[in-house]
Amino acid sequence: MAASTEQSQGSSFLGKHQFLVYRLFSLSGFIPVGAFVVVHLATNASILAGPEAFQSRVDMIHGLGPLLPIVEWLFIFLPMIFHASIGFVIISGGLPNVGSYPYVGNVRYTLQRATGMIAFAFILWHIIQLHWMGAALGGGAFDPHRASSSAATAIAPMLVGILYAIGIVSVVFHFSNGLWTLGITWGLWTSSAAMQRASWACLVIGLTLGTLGLGALVAMRAVDVEQAKSIEERMEQMHRDNSVEKTFLPTSKQGA
Amino acid sequence: MIGVSTKNAASGDAISNKNQSAKDRKSTERVVHVRVLRQDGPGQASYWERHEIPYELNMNVISILQRIAQKSCTQDGRPVPPVAWDCNCLEEVCGSCTMVVNGRTRMACTSLVDALLVEDAQEIELRPMSKFPVVRDLVVDRRRVFHALKRVQAWIPIDGSFDQGPGPRISPDEQQDAYPLSTCMSCGCCLEACPQYTKIEIVKRPEETVEELGIRREAAFHREFMGAHAISQAMLFNNHPTGRMNAEERLSSLTSQGGIQMCGNAQNCVAVCPKSIPLTRSIARAGRAATVWAIKKLFDR
Ligand code: SF4
Ligand code: SF4
Ligand code: FES
Repeated sequence: MAASTEQSQGSSFLGKHQFLVYRLFSLSGFIPVGAFVVVHLATNASILAGPEAFQSRVDMIHGLGPLLPIVEWLFIFLPMIFHASIGFVIISGGLPNVGSYPYVGNVRYTLQRATGMIAFAFILWHIIQLHWMGAALGGGAFDPHRASSSAATAIAPMLVGILYAIGIVSVVFHFSNGLWTLGITWGLWTSSAAMQRASWACLVIGLTLGTLGLGALVAMRAVDVEQAKSIEERMEQMHRDNSVEKTFLPTSKQGA
Repeated sequence: MIGVSTKNAASGDAISNKNQSAKDRKSTERVVHVRVLRQDGPGQASYWERHEIPYELNMNVISILQRIAQKSCTQDGRPVPPVAWDCNCLEEVCGSCTMVVNGRTRMACTSLVDALLVEDAQEIELRPMSKFPVVRDLVVDRRRVFHALKRVQAWIPIDGSFDQGPGPRISPDEQQDAYPLSTCMSCGCCLEACPQYTKIEIVKRPEETVEELGIRREAAFHREFMGAHAISQAMLFNNHPTGRMNAEERLSSLTSQGGIQMCGNAQNCVAVCPKSIPLTRSIARAGRAATVWAIKKLFDR
């Protein structure tokens, strides 16, 4: 036999670089994808402070102007596509067996895969429904200048609300449980006691994010659309008045 | 004690359906019902077979199989060849008698019938391991388990037979840490229960020589997950003062295709290991070592 470290002949690209690819997969779930999810949920949670607070957060983000799509693709969409593609490769290679081995770790393993797939479907739908790119597919309902009112209208139907709740819970579980497995994968927590502590920490993170996410969902669906519209109109007017000097503020064509 | 058909009828209505049939058999002596998943040879279809043997005190699954071999006929009296199985030490150190008993992978020699009947009073179910090719009945081909140990060089090379003097001292703490890992018996329970470890069965092509078949099989083993036991053994030797001298080679294997990255952290391995080896600790340590090593390699290039 040749040296045991030697690679077998004829393995695929993914096979040859499996370690690197899987580690990048693990990392991408935390940075940038996970980090984005946290920021996104926190931003959405500002609706708890009212349409005005939410609108000003959205204005801040859209203040990036033409840079925004670049940031979106580089730090959100492309890493998400990468994470999801490798995720599907991983899922297809596994053979869940919670039926025979109903241990907590195994349930989490299975849920991690299930929530990953739910999260993928949910995020895809969420983007089509709200992001301007989804307009071609009958979505793209979010208007950055009418942040709360457009979002609240889009998610007003009961079914949409329920599906959003499932999606948010799946995303949050996938992120916080993934954080725990990431710590094992990279060797941050190695003893079973340390894993247990990390598990509690991840639970707290998950519950916090879940509260933020569901809280935002409930608050957004409770928004008084007419009142929000008038607030948003007033804010947009204010920005227009200021935009003579501050040219980096969003121009109205972006909302289209 | 529950689990014996003559007594079951008394144990109430809740499970009366099955008990009824047990009672109908009118067995006066205590019997144990066994269901075995049999297979006559590699690649052939498997089939279930029922056996009934007299209960004895302190039986284990091996003694059940011995009684089945003695009787060599099924529950309904049909003569059959004895069920084939593997065993050797009979004290949970050789690792050869692994099978799936009542749906869970474990050692046949330490699976006591009384305990199994507490799990399921009606019958004991025996299946071969599902992650390895069946040779016959409960005997499987476990060479992939050993191939993985070769992959990670789970040994310390010696360069000659001359006396090299005493080795480096190992602190009691290190000994404590290493000892559990050294009890691994390559039984493969950790692999059977692992959702990331999937079966490889290479079937001989008609035009192929045995040698070519072997090469093809090794290549397949090399591509797929090595498993928790091999990761743990690599850590055992990498943390040994002499074994450490080959640490780089082992890390290189651990990070090759089918290495630690294939682990999905389900942690079934540690839950089913008969020797209670802290496998997830080994896996996390291997992950940490690989992280450090990969970064070092990146900057030292
Ligand atoms: S680690 Fe445990 S379960 Fe795995 S082969 Fe060794 S003794 Fe068996
Ligand atoms: S922790 Fe890894 S090696 Fe152990 S059962 Fe889970 S996936 Fe398999
Ligand atoms: S016969 Fe050796 S472990 Fe069971």
